[in-house]
Amino acid sequence: MTEPEIKPDIMRISWGPQHPMSGQTRILLDVDGEKVHRIIADLGFTHRGIEKILENRTFLKGIIPIERMVMVDTANIGLGYVLAIEEALGVEVPERANWIRSMLCEMTRINSHLYAFGLQAEATGYFPAVFLWTTIDREVLLDLMEKLTGARWSYNFFLPGGVHHDLPEGFQEEVLEGVDYLRRRFQQYWDAMVENATFEMRCKGVAVLKKEDAIRLGATGPVLRGSGVDMDVRKDEPYAAYGDLDFKVITETAGDSMARLKVRFHEIEQSLNIIEQVANEIPGGPVKTRVPLFARAKPGEVFSRVETPRGEMGIHLFTDGGMNPYRVKINSPTLRNMYVFERLAELDEILVADLTVVINSIDPWYLDSDR
Amino acid sequence: MFTTLWNWLVNALFGLPGAIWRFAVGFLTWLPGALLRLPGWLWRFLWINFKPLMQILILPGLAFILVFAIIAVWFERKFLARAMLRVGPYYCGKRAGLLQVFADFLKLFMKEIIIPYDAERAFFTMMPVLVPTLPALALVLIPFDQNWVLFDAGSLSLPMFFAIAGLAPLIPIFTGWAANNKYTAIGGFRVAFLYISAEIPLVICAAAVAIMAGSFDLVKIVEAQRDMWFAVPQFIGFVIFFLGVIIEAERTPFDVPTAETELVLGWRTEFSGILFGFTMMAEYVAFQAWALLFITLYLGGFNGPDIFGSTMYSHIFWLLLKFAILVPIIILLRCVFPRLRLDQTLRLGWYYLTPLAVLNLFIVLALKLWGVA
Amino acid sequence: MSLLKKLFKPFLIVAPYVLRNSQTVAYPDERLVFAERFRGRHKLHFDRCIGCGTCARVCPDNSIVLVEAEGHEGKYPQIDYGTCSLCGYCVEFCPKAALEFTDLVEFSTRDASELVYSPERLAEVPSIKEVVPRLKRRIEPYLTKTEMKYRKVEDL
Repeated sequence: MTEPEIKPDIMRISWGPQHPMSGQTRILLDVDGEKVHRIIADLGFTHRGIEKILENRTFLKGIIPIERMVMVDTANIGLGYVLAIEEALGVEVPERANWIRSMLCEMTRINSHLYAFGLQAEATGYFPAVFLWTTIDREVLLDLMEKLTGARWSYNFFLPGGVHHDLPEGFQEEVLEGVDYLRRRFQQYWDAMVENATFEMRCKGVAVLKKEDAIRLGATGPVLRGSGVDMDVRKDEPYAAYGDLDFKVITETAGDSMARLKVRFHEIEQSLNIIEQVANEIPGGPVKTRVPLFARAKPGEVFSRVETPRGEMGIHLFTDGGMNPYRVKINSPTLRNMYVFERLAELDEILVADLTVVINSIDPWYLDSDR
Repeated sequence: MFTTLWNWLVNALFGLPGAIWRFAVGFLTWLPGALLRLPGWLWRFLWINFKPLMQILILPGLAFILVFAIIAVWFERKFLARAMLRVGPYYCGKRAGLLQVFADFLKLFMKEIIIPYDAERAFFTMMPVLVPTLPALALVLIPFDQNWVLFDAGSLSLPMFFAIAGLAPLIPIFTGWAANNKYTAIGGFRVAFLYISAEIPLVICAAAVAIMAGSFDLVKIVEAQRDMWFAVPQFIGFVIFFLGVIIEAERTPFDVPTAETELVLGWRTEFSGILFGFTMMAEYVAFQAWALLFITLYLGGFNGPDIFGSTMYSHIFWLLLKFAILVPIIILLRCVFPRLRLDQTLRLGWYYLTPLAVLNLFIVLALKLWGVA
Repeated sequence: MSLLKKLFKPFLIVAPYVLRNSQTVAYPDERLVFAERFRGRHKLHFDRCIGCGTCARVCPDNSIVLVEAEGHEGKYPQIDYGTCSLCGYCVEFCPKAALEFTDLVEFSTRDASELVYSPERLAEVPSIKEVVPRLKRRIEPYLTKTEMKYRKVEDL
């Protein structure tokens, strides 16, 4: 990429892919002493051409590659694609399938937020204690999802027309037990980590994103909600039984890294409430409608949106009457948040020491932005 | 003639083992006599200086420092692994990882020492040897008993400790500069910032302790705590010194120079092999020196009830017990708090600790004036 | 004094963790018991397979090719585990349920061509003790009030 010129007195540091805390991306920093003047994100390191791959797969087969966009929340992304296909094919989904879809999506949301929380704690210089505890708590959820779907992260559970299997025997009790356990653990996390004197010193007031800037720059997900904007696709355009479920959209007004973390934290609580509701009140009925394996869609275009843990993801699907889609354009949340991250250097004063905290409070997943 | 030659040959051949045997016996019987008849001055020297030799070699000298470094590394890895709900070193040495430290140390010995092309070779290779040596020098002043001080400096021991420890920031600066790397130099400067901002409150607190005890001698300070540890009337000083120990030992939550700079390890980055091993060990030696001073000043030093019959062994036991209780607490802090930024640490040192230390000094002066302590 | 609370409460919460069990699985001495639906290695039933080729057509990674097998007539699936993503379509869409999942995941070999499993190899599934000779017990997790522990299911 063509890099902008370096001004005099400014040192350009390449925080490259070989840095312990940067993730799989290269970020160029224009630094003057401790203050960061400008951030240039050089994305594309992990580009795999998923959009092109999807043009060569049928609708059913295409669910597998697109799930691998983000490894911790495959369910939400797979659901986005499946919703687009269902709208293109004109398929009705039974109600029980929608409720099961919501449950799995919320479990992956908790999964992803725990991972992000652990990473942010590790970024503040915490010895990886919190990261390991969240990993262990994720095991509880991963075991539940393994019982339901058969795999630990690449669920491949959604099908155009419903879900693959029904809930196994005794699943509801296990889910309620897991939810109970996780609630106790989160109380501990709140007391020991979030209300921690040094953790607050590191995260409070760091990289404040004001409400107008968040809307103007196009932030999404917890970054947007941490600045006080009340936008959530699950409430604005409900999909997959979210219209019937009772939950709140969490917003915080401070806009700094601590606020984003608290948004994620409280969203975990709301997800637990949703899972409990689903486990108690799920309706009966079939779980899938029959769709041909190699279905063809009428020519046209479809747009579907889902709320992934990182933000809102949009899938724009163009069909031309064949078995494969003509073009799939994925609008990933991390790409939009990285743009906000680049502008944060101008909006608020960021020190080099805070950079890891800021990056991990935005919670990027670079395979998501590079596709 | 042939027969005599043959006989001689046979005798020589068969007698060869016998000759060797006789030679060995003769040597071994001569050896003790020769040893005892070694220069008398050597034996007299060893006998007169038996106690200092024990102190230098075993406690609190070479063996104590090395054994503590080894145990501390193993203990930290296992203890923190437990706090993180995992196992730690497991396979090396009978499922408890006891030999893991030795394995790592051997590995460091075998690695190649890489010296950068433009670095100052003399400084670069010499500094890592100094890094653990300075805190070890400070360690010799700590009294383990009234009669068991390696270097009894009398009433100069407390200022001498601070004098030696005050040289400590110089070495990271030299090392960072000697490696001819922009980032290590910056790392060295940050260490200097950190140490200087921590030393001043510590010196003021130590002065308060000395006032309350009435002398600068470490032995007399410990004896003055026979009724009540100084931690109780000087609670503020206790807290400040505790934080100071963690800062001086460069442990989380204050290990800013080590893990903070853009580059990996601050001033230690360019070292490899055994030079790196020395800098790693230095962290534990410094920790040991400051923790023992902390116990001596505030937690009663070697005072404690007599359990072994002889006061010297009890005193040594109590000091080591207090040390063994303090070390896991400080190690566990690494798991509880994240790291502070450099400016936050410096603000803590200058804005909060120094005024509190002066306040502590005033409290001690007031107590002394009113004849309470 | 909320600052004091924020300093001491984390310490008091974290300190008892040192006394807990470690929540690690000491593989290869122990191994978890996987769920029933777990997607591991495939198992082929020769008597059920009719050679229709649905599995090959529905596989997203083109890992299945129908080949001849020894001792059986007709064509049977050969799975290349170098590209197989264990997605489960072949198992689910087989009209005769000839492919099913086992819970073996130990695929590692030294030679990539060994990852292509012929139908005969797919049909016979070794026991877990043959694949992992050091295994001593199977464990499963359960939740107590404060932690997740492992308990032994069976000894081997």
